[in-house]
Amino acid sequence: MRRYVRIFREFFRACFVEELEYRSEFLGNLISSFFGIGIAVLTVNIFFYQTDQLGGWTYADVLVLLGVFNTLRGMIDFALRPNMPRLLEHVRRGTLDYILTKPVDSMFYVSFRHLVFWRLIDVLLGIGVIGYGLIKKHYIPSLVDVIVFIVTIAASFVLIYSLWMLLMTTSFWVIRIDDLSFIFDSFFETARFPVGMYRGWVRIVLTYVLPAAVITNMPALSLLGKWNMATALIAALLALVFLWLARRFWRFALRFYTSASS
Amino acid sequence: MIRKYIALLRMKYVEMLAYRLATIVWMTGAIVQPLITMAVWMNIDPSQSDAFLFYFMAVIFVERMTSAWDVWELDREIREGTFSNYILRPLHPIHWAVAENIVYKVLFLVILAPVWAVAALFVPALRFDMTGGQTLLFLMALLLGAALRFLLSYICGLLGFWITKVTAVYGVLEVISLFLSGRIAPLSLLPPVLQQWSIFLPFRYMIGFPIDIITKAANSHDMLQGFAIASIWIVVFVIALRWIWKAGLKKNQAVGG
Amino acid sequence: MIHVKHLHKSFRVHVRQTGWLEAIRSLLNREYRLVEAVKDISFTIEKGEIVGFLGPNGAGKTTTMKMLAGLLHPTSGEITVGGFVPFEQKTEFKKMMSLVMGQKSQLIWDIPPMETFLVNKAIYEIDDRTFQQTLDELVELLELAPLLDKPTRSLSLGQRMRCELAAALLHRPKVLFLDEPTIGLDVHTQEKVRRFIVDYNREHETTILLTSHYMGDVTALCDRVMIINHGTLIYDGELDVLTEKLAPYKRLEIRFANIPAVPWENYGEIVEIEDGKATLRVAREKVAEVSSHFLQHFHVHDINIQDPPMEEVITRAFQEGFNDS
Repeated sequence: MRRYVRIFREFFRACFVEELEYRSEFLGNLISSFFGIGIAVLTVNIFFYQTDQLGGWTYADVLVLLGVFNTLRGMIDFALRPNMPRLLEHVRRGTLDYILTKPVDSMFYVSFRHLVFWRLIDVLLGIGVIGYGLIKKHYIPSLVDVIVFIVTIAASFVLIYSLWMLLMTTSFWVIRIDDLSFIFDSFFETARFPVGMYRGWVRIVLTYVLPAAVITNMPALSLLGKWNMATALIAALLALVFLWLARRFWRFALRFYTSASS
Repeated sequence: MIRKYIALLRMKYVEMLAYRLATIVWMTGAIVQPLITMAVWMNIDPSQSDAFLFYFMAVIFVERMTSAWDVWELDREIREGTFSNYILRPLHPIHWAVAENIVYKVLFLVILAPVWAVAALFVPALRFDMTGGQTLLFLMALLLGAALRFLLSYICGLLGFWITKVTAVYGVLEVISLFLSGRIAPLSLLPPVLQQWSIFLPFRYMIGFPIDIITKAANSHDMLQGFAIASIWIVVFVIALRWIWKAGLKKNQAVGG
Repeated sequence: MIHVKHLHKSFRVHVRQTGWLEAIRSLLNREYRLVEAVKDISFTIEKGEIVGFLGPNGAGKTTTMKMLAGLLHPTSGEITVGGFVPFEQKTEFKKMMSLVMGQKSQLIWDIPPMETFLVNKAIYEIDDRTFQQTLDELVELLELAPLLDKPTRSLSLGQRMRCELAAALLHRPKVLFLDEPTIGLDVHTQEKVRRFIVDYNREHETTILLTSHYMGDVTALCDRVMIINHGTLIYDGELDVLTEKLAPYKRLEIRFANIPAVPWENYGEIVEIEDGKATLRVAREKVAEVSSHFLQHFHVHDINIQDPPMEEVITRAFQEGFNDS
């Protein structure tokens, strides 16, 4: 475990040095991050120009939710997005063989080798918006609120990672699945708003089948003090189950890969 | 010229067939955002659900029919230097892009129109009746919208001769257009300041304006004004495009591609 | 066919700064350095000639070629190709020339080459009969028949280059610019491409200017070479003359029954002396004298006189520089 922490730190350092090479892009990235969150807030304002609640959430609640969404997306863009689509390339070009010969866990390597630091700005901005929302709401989260928040947002991240990894691992069999990340993005967009906003079967699908909405709604509710210990525990448990599944599937795929390719 | 276009269209058609899977994936992805926005509005005002359903289905249709991706193509071609291949040949490169747009939009039409027709059989909210004249006006507005978006996208792409991040610039424009074109909300629901801006900027005429015609939200005065402003923007874009094209070629000849 | 006079091309290159402050400052006030890629080049190429354009990487070959094709505007100097000024990019000019770049494909990646051919037919306004004739000829010469209907991405590098040549020649250009046409190809395919270029040139009197890293391309194709280094033309003339000029010596290999003990260095530069065999580098004018001397005075099994390999000559030329002497 400590070895992997050290390796992760090494990845971190290597990517950091690499990005410093392109530091002229710093300003552009900063602007685009601010622009992105500004637009998101503006959108919410436009909706609330016509209403004072969205799926039972007030303006301040929705801002907290938006903050959670931005934080989570920042984390995904920081660690997952740079790596997940690459797996396709590795399999297609056979460069996976290099990785398999390295004395590191291959799933760990393909998952975290590339990190994009600029996206951590989004995490910070997201936290800022959460803070702003909470101030608007005049609510100071208790320590338990924060702990449940951290547990649920971590569970969301692990869940997203596991699902994405499961999806990408299928590339060992179905090589021609381009643009899968694009589909992922589209569904992640549904997590921007309160799940209570959707109607009928769409709500059911987004709650139980593609839990896009739950992954942001639950951490936001936790911070607002409206958590439910049972669902939080279920979320954490679910995340671990999916992580285990993704891991098993990866191992299975590798066995297939090493025995099928020559 | 007609023979050249026939050859280009044929080639782009064959090429599109090679990418059909990716095309369908993109199309599916592109409908998610309007659907979410629709859900938001239905939640805000449930009594208007049918109107929102019709409006956002129209957004999906018009958005696809006017969509432009040329900036990404140009950005890549200029960066990788393959754009030279077009410059070297005795036909203006823009014709390749025009042909590609025609092929893809015919494809979208062939998919979306029957889907709409079938859906309208089951969902009364999707039915509409238009006179021949209105249909003609709608089609004209659609064509203008497609031309505006194409020109803007192509102009941005040509900026690639000078700057490396044109797709980011275009991304900013797209986001602005999200609000002012009527994709985030029917324009009548926007704050008055934004509504005013939207009338004079080109974005409204890319998506919102044709929809206003089909939903009969636009009266004859609005239409006259809309067609006039859209036409002015077309002229502005065409002049800008010619000028940027010439300057871009010169720039390219100076620094190499 | 091609006239070039006092051609210059310089680029402004942005000087990169290190450090945060400098980086921010350079956003406002950029510093530039002037790089002279091509310096005062003049030459003339007649109709039907094949000329090889040689030089190390970054010498200015591709820059010159791009100026000839009209992709780049010269900083100063004059160019005419077939009576046209290339950078004006006149349609008539585009129709009479073709540029093939080994590393940039004009074929469309995901569809068969035939589709690109058909598009070119329309763009260059080739009539049906001429197109069919030209296509048949190219298909035969380049052995394209099995390739035409396969998606380009599935072709090998060599197959793709052959299709690339065909796409460039469909409109029967009078001038053909080939930039590294054999790059990355295996020896066998290189040979094929070369043979095609020679045949095509003979058949149609096409003027061809070719750049290449491979000496083999040049020796096989060109009677005349131009050598460019650091942006200046340092040699323009026949290949044979170049060899004589750069390599005023030949390689002499003599096999003896018993190798004699003689002062070898008096005859020429010693390359290698081993059991029964001596290899010397001997000045051209002394070769006859030296060889007859050995033949008369010693028991010689075999004698072999060679020009030094071209690769060696050119490498030496770049290392030592050219003298006008």
